[in-house]
Amino acid sequence: MKNLLLVFVTASVVACGGSEAPRNVSSDPFCQRVIPAVDAWLADARIAHPTPDDDRYGGTVVVGTNGEIADGMNAAVAADYNATQHHQFVNLMTLIDFDDEYEPRGYLAESWEFAEDMTSVTFRIRQDVFWHDGEQTDAHDVAFTYLAVTNPETAFPNAAFWSHYVPGEAGVEVLDDFTVRIRMRPHSMPLDPFRTVGILPEHLLGDVPPSELKQHPFGSQCPVGNGPFVFYTHTAQDRWVFEANPAFPEELGGRPFVNRYVYRAIPEQTTLLAELLTGGIDVYVQPTPEQAQNVLDAEQLDLRRFVGRSYMYVGWNARLPKLSDPRVRTALGMGVDRQSLVDGTLGGYGRIANSGVPPFHFAFDADLESPVSYDPAGARALLEEAGWVDRDGDGVRENAAGEPLEIVLKYNPHHLRQAIAEVMQAQLSEVGVAITPQSVEFTTLIDQIASTRRDFEGVVMGWNAEFRLDDTDLFRSDRIDQPYAFSGTQNPTLDRLIDALSTAVDEDVSRALWVEYQRAIMEEQPYTYFYFRDRLVGVNRRLQGVEMDVRGEWTTVKDWYIDPASP
Amino acid sequence: MTSGTAVAPNDEATSVTEGRRGGDLSRYVLRRLVGAIPLVIGISSIVFFVVHLAPGDPARLLLPPGGGDQDVIDQIRRNLGLDQPLHIQYVKWLGSFFTGNFGYSFSQGAPVRAVLANTFPNTLLLSGFALAVAFGVGIVVGTIQAVRQYSAADSILSVVLLFFYSMPGFWLALMLVLMLSYQARNIWEWPIWFPASAMVSSDFGDLSSVGRLADRLWHLVLPATALSLSLAAGIARYMRGSMLEVIRQDYVRTARSKGLPERLVIFKHALRNALSPIITMVGVYIPMVFSGTVIIESVFAWPGMGRMIFDAIGARDYPLVVAGTFFFALTVVLANLLADVLYAIADPRIRYESDV
Repeated sequence: MKNLLLVFVTASVVACGGSEAPRNVSSDPFCQRVIPAVDAWLADARIAHPTPDDDRYGGTVVVGTNGEIADGMNAAVAADYNATQHHQFVNLMTLIDFDDEYEPRGYLAESWEFAEDMTSVTFRIRQDVFWHDGEQTDAHDVAFTYLAVTNPETAFPNAAFWSHYVPGEAGVEVLDDFTVRIRMRPHSMPLDPFRTVGILPEHLLGDVPPSELKQHPFGSQCPVGNGPFVFYTHTAQDRWVFEANPAFPEELGGRPFVNRYVYRAIPEQTTLLAELLTGGIDVYVQPTPEQAQNVLDAEQLDLRRFVGRSYMYVGWNARLPKLSDPRVRTALGMGVDRQSLVDGTLGGYGRIANSGVPPFHFAFDADLESPVSYDPAGARALLEEAGWVDRDGDGVRENAAGEPLEIVLKYNPHHLRQAIAEVMQAQLSEVGVAITPQSVEFTTLIDQIASTRRDFEGVVMGWNAEFRLDDTDLFRSDRIDQPYAFSGTQNPTLDRLIDALSTAVDEDVSRALWVEYQRAIMEEQPYTYFYFRDRLVGVNRRLQGVEMDVRGEWTTVKDWYIDPASP
Repeated sequence: MTSGTAVAPNDEATSVTEGRRGGDLSRYVLRRLVGAIPLVIGISSIVFFVVHLAPGDPARLLLPPGGGDQDVIDQIRRNLGLDQPLHIQYVKWLGSFFTGNFGYSFSQGAPVRAVLANTFPNTLLLSGFALAVAFGVGIVVGTIQAVRQYSAADSILSVVLLFFYSMPGFWLALMLVLMLSYQARNIWEWPIWFPASAMVSSDFGDLSSVGRLADRLWHLVLPATALSLSLAAGIARYMRGSMLEVIRQDYVRTARSKGLPERLVIFKHALRNALSPIITMVGVYIPMVFSGTVIIESVFAWPGMGRMIFDAIGARDYPLVVAGTFFFALTVVLANLLADVLYAIADPRIRYESDV
């Protein structure tokens, strides 16, 4: 037995010996080629651009979240929030970004110009930006990226981004090495995709067939960006490590303050909080509302709060006769005290939503009176008007055919979604509606609602709102068979407004249309909108220069620095 | 488990004896290994079909919430080869399996081979340490309990063991994080506390070789403890029973009557024999440890294969699920084989049984 123990202990100690390199380098030939090139360029860049003599430079900052950067750094095939944040602010560069008033400003593009008829936009590219292997970033990279993301074979996930642009070769023209023109049809907020989609290196990915971009090692094994941070290593399910780019253009702020930026994926939120409290991480993205108080109570920590992009709602299947009447859907909303949910489950860190138009949107109308304010008596009256009456005295309403108003409400296992389902069950029973909450595994649930079977009656779900809103895929009648048009909405007024909104170039016209749209959605009630959840972030006070808002947690990451006075 | 009950040698161990009758252990091992090949391929094939039968489309999960249309989903399916009939996908999977390629993990954005190469050693490290701790602690505690049967120490240890045996691993892991990481550092201000997650510190690359070794061991403490405590409690109960049976044997009584010190009687004469049935438990406990890693790796953000497979199931990442299951199955088969061989080596009675 002693031998047995010896075998285990020896094997384990040998396995964890100090010989492991601190860096995972993929054996893929592509990575074997580009990583040495990046290392060589970075070494040269550090000599050519010495770190300024300032106490604020140096150190490592660690950000912890409960998810991986699932889609990696390949902007042509990535869509998840953490990934696009890293494309925009960490490893890649977008043509434009937003200032703190959400107005477009140049980033990789130093300027842009629209054609008078708004059928094209011409970008002038900066000449002082280099890929991290030393190649200069130019208009050919922009054209390559545009061709990649508009090519159907690439399967760019946010296809709606490009629905108003001319796809393929006809849609892009390189005028000179630093000038590129993109063709489009006139539409609202035409710069928005260029704020989100990072530009990719043509010299590295130009010969990759579009259908193979998803599998290419560039994304998660050896990305080569041109942004303020240079990729160093990625350990799956553990961390991404980036190093400061010494050659980042001075006009854009120059070299980031910290030497190294680490992104850590920690799935358990209690562990995340423990790491923040013990100094293992500097930033905890999205603590739970309950944990917010722990952050507030810790003197070394600061709680940042800003309005989030994601909203929670209950989607109703209007294809079903019992849910096809807007009065019934409205009554379901009126029977639920949404403010109590915001207070109870979010600790007040959220605000009631009446449509998918978020509070940060230029056309958000806070004065619109919601028809689904908490009003049980009104809900009862509306249900009776719609023909649902408790005919047998069992507490549940029936229609004229005697069918009871019983609704199965599905949700995936998540405490906030479960809370919505259970509160609806309790409160709607008071107005004569029998809600049965049903927990379904997330992937299965998506399959049930998005497949053509539409195997659901009500579903608790959440969407993310972008700066440029477009509800075409959700509510336009001709999209009814598309995966996420599961509500089955077919409303000519909404169709007209969706079409008008997508092509409204003038902001005043657009604002008026959005107000009209919000009213129409409130009348239609395809969803019972619940709330926009605030983004919460726990930040160690030793970290300075941290500005966060709806643009994202990483917006100013290159300006973060460790307080020289901190221990 | 009551005192005096010992774990019986399992059938596999008996067959080792038969194998050794021909005097050729290596031939036996080879035969077992060859026999394991269809077993693990069979397991992987079953898993392949089961995960494909599960509802859910991985292509849909690659789209942003609310975005995308059917054309994009169909294109993603084509790009990932998910549009082909299941039997074609199975044949392709078998081909990639035999070439050691294992396909492409679309949830990790990397070849499955690379994902496994990065995560499997981490799980082995954690599991190996946890097993070593579990057996070490279990054997020592079980021996103490047997030697001090019905004493206060025996009773107290029984209660403590029952506590750890009964506690869910998830809860235990979180308590360890809260107490030995957060409380120890921030509240109690102990000189020693342990990190709540990860395998290494953020400045690992800047450490010396000794510093790196210490850093990794430091990070191992909490997850290995969480994983091993309930196992150790079970092993201690088995060990107590086995030891009680052995110390009542005539040869132990003889050793005592010769006037040998009690320590020598226990550790030299009784312990070795009491350990024989415990060794076979290695084969039983390895699958339990691997199951435990799914939760423990998530709590401690340990980048191992248990957590990877769990996440891959949610993402319907078929190639990764199947390959991960294959490696777990292979490890369990090898562990069982190892336990059988060790059992035959450790117990002299087995060695001579065939000559009787």
